[in-house]
Amino acid sequence: MSVLDTFVANIHFIGAMIIFVIGLYMVIAHPNLFKRIIGINVMSSAVFYFFVAIGAIADGRVPIVEGTVTPADYINPVPSALILTGIVISVSFTVYALSLAIKIHQSYGTLDQEKIVEMTTRDDSYD
Amino acid sequence: MTLLTIFLVLLLVLTAFAVERTKDLLSAVIVFAAFSLVLSVLWLILKAPDVALTEAAVGAGITTVILLAVLAKTERYER
Amino acid sequence: MNDRLLYTIVKLMLPVIVVYGIFIILHGHVTPGGGFSGGAILGAALILYGLTFGQDASLKLFPESVSKRLESGGVLVYIGIGLIGLVLGGAFLTNAGVFPLGDPGNILSGGMIPLLMIAIGIKVGSTMMTLFNALLEDE
Repeated sequence: MSVLDTFVANIHFIGAMIIFVIGLYMVIAHPNLFKRIIGINVMSSAVFYFFVAIGAIADGRVPIVEGTVTPADYINPVPSALILTGIVISVSFTVYALSLAIKIHQSYGTLDQEKIVEMTTRDDSYD
Repeated sequence: MTLLTIFLVLLLVLTAFAVERTKDLLSAVIVFAAFSLVLSVLWLILKAPDVALTEAAVGAGITTVILLAVLAKTERYER
Repeated sequence: MNDRLLYTIVKLMLPVIVVYGIFIILHGHVTPGGGFSGGAILGAALILYGLTFGQDASLKLFPESVSKRLESGGVLVYIGIGLIGLVLGGAFLTNAGVFPLGDPGNILSGGMIPLLMIAIGIKVGSTMMTLFNALLEDE
């Protein structure tokens, strides 16, 4: 099997890893809190993608009972069911983080973390 | 089918990279909606239609609208 | 805000989106989808209405007291259905033996699962609307 075949066979895993790293870079390198929340969303999407790709098999069928299909043809439905719960948690987390971001913007007037750190440390030096 | 899969994965990586690069947060949110949509099509190819349906409703619908609502209350441009 | 194109398209789209969400909820046990997906679609329809016609109109259509009751009521119906199994001598959320199961693939099958889906759908749809209103409301 050549390198290209290996690449094509594992395309979902490679793609998921690249997206996870892009999301991690967004969380680490951007000082803007809003961009960081989007970055965490990208990271969680990459993890969900990885999980669903684990459950898939070549030429698999959707796990719905219809007619005479042998169960060996179905994809593994357990990762899909887990990921549904994960999406729910991801949405709740996003809304909670965004509400905190609104509160931070009301208090400091900015969402840039470097400026916020500057303000808070300057306040400490006055004490 | 394989070509379509490879094209969609490349598009997914490209949209994720575009979300990372844009300084305009409004554009970032719109590109993030496109990212979610491409991801949901990929899940349809991976034979997980319920996850694809949920992602299309939640990722491209609810999350985008809520991000936009917060963007309207805070600032639009990064630094 | 006097955008006639937007108003017309949204008025045409809204019934379709709502019917699609109800379809996803009611067919949750035989086709892909279920309570959360359908509820999210219903919530998206409500949010679309609020975005287009303004928050006052959406609060008039779907006031906060109603959404509060629907949210709590969805959870209570879920717990109540679960307790039926407990009362009739099984574990929490017992399905087989307590509810008529029907034939797989029919719309009237699956015992209590369609009822649970309806409860979850109502809960999720009203929660999405509440989240949006809570994020947008002024201090």
